[in-house]
Amino acid sequence: MTTVEPESAPRCPVHDYTPYELKPLGAWAEFYHQLQDEAPIVKNEFGRGYYIPTRHEDILAVLQDPETFSSDSVIAYEPDPAYRWIPHMINGDEHRQWRRQLGPYFSPRATEQVDARVRAKARDLVAQLAGRGACDLMKDFALKFPTAIILEVVGLPPEDLDRLLELEEEIVHAVGDPDDALRRKLAAINAVKQYLAEKIEQRRARPADDMITKSLGIEIDDRPVTDDELLNYWQFLVQAGLDSVAGMLGYFFHHLATHPADRQRIVQQPDTIPQALEEMLRAYSFIVTARKVTRDTEIAGCPVAAGSMVQLILKMSGRDDEFYHDASTVDLDRRTSNHLAFGAGPHRCLGSHLARRELRVALEEWHLAIPDYRLGEGEPIVEFGRSSGVNTLPLAWDI
Amino acid sequence: MKVSIDLGKCCGHARCNAVDSENFLLDESGYALRADFEIPAEAEEKARLAVTSCPERAISLP
Repeated sequence: MTTVEPESAPRCPVHDYTPYELKPLGAWAEFYHQLQDEAPIVKNEFGRGYYIPTRHEDILAVLQDPETFSSDSVIAYEPDPAYRWIPHMINGDEHRQWRRQLGPYFSPRATEQVDARVRAKARDLVAQLAGRGACDLMKDFALKFPTAIILEVVGLPPEDLDRLLELEEEIVHAVGDPDDALRRKLAAINAVKQYLAEKIEQRRARPADDMITKSLGIEIDDRPVTDDELLNYWQFLVQAGLDSVAGMLGYFFHHLATHPADRQRIVQQPDTIPQALEEMLRAYSFIVTARKVTRDTEIAGCPVAAGSMVQLILKMSGRDDEFYHDASTVDLDRRTSNHLAFGAGPHRCLGSHLARRELRVALEEWHLAIPDYRLGEGEPIVEFGRSSGVNTLPLAWDI
Repeated sequence: MKVSIDLGKCCGHARCNAVDSENFLLDESGYALRADFEIPAEAEEKARLAVTSCPERAISLP
């Protein structure tokens, strides 16, 4: 598709890169920074092509306008998806109904009620590692901790963790040829749904005091939720619960391993952990989401036609020098948490309170047992240009 | 002084409550409970931080 741009029209530079490329840690952030310097909006030709607003203001504006920017698709290069994540990909009043019923289970109050379990799990995992003197933070801690919490909270048996992690890898991190990756992703989504369908049947027969049982009572438009909707919801929830906190922990610990002053600060003043994690969320959030345009509109002066995809790279919001002074520097005294790590608008991450608690508890419990550590030996640390954490994080400490 | 929260903009980040849980009350889902309320003078500094902490810009002060 070619566009004829009159000379007076604002620039929308066009690029052609694949988000599936693995780069050394930090290279994607640098690349995004270049895009930000180039123009307030750019286009990537990958897939069917999509727009990328590069400033905080425009990213926020898109998130706050769900009628123009719908969630029919939330992955920029999958504009007509074969899956329907609930409530992530629901719009309008139906979306409000879902959020109204799910809200109490994910509220700050509900998070308080699981605090003890979250802490016990973190303490347990750290205790197993402390005497070793080395670990891969991703494999040995970050991927286990939030997943174990979600399984427990949802009502899934801990012995299923490894299998779910494998399937999760395929859904979010499938490597290789994009068409093959998509095929494997869809297969994994179906496998998770089959697994969950069994669990739902079991709960219908024998209700338990868990979230799966509670979800059977959801009503949409005055009728009971369907099995299909439940499966879409639970498959998405397991995915959301597994991946994002794990990814953030990777970035947090990489920062703290390589910035001793910041690490010592949180060790000596653990009550600064909440503000430290907000600042690291701002600087390192890796979630990449998208919206589908419902009517002809414009972003940063650039016309965007109905049917277009707009990709939202939340790290660009956090690193916007026009919004945050010296945005690339992590400053634990910045003391503001208006970042978009959890999105904004009606689709603000439902799990944000639980996620914050998990991140805080992980930092607290780890640094009580292992206050001093450094990057260890191991394979190179790499990341995708998709929603993804790092692949590995070797840490080492004296025992 | 009077605090105003645009409840239509509130999306339940609860950052205001994290700054000042006594004055910025939440409902059972973690969204702002009150649209307009008074706070004592000594709560003003925290209230100003709450304003800037809201990603949605839903809070205003005089």
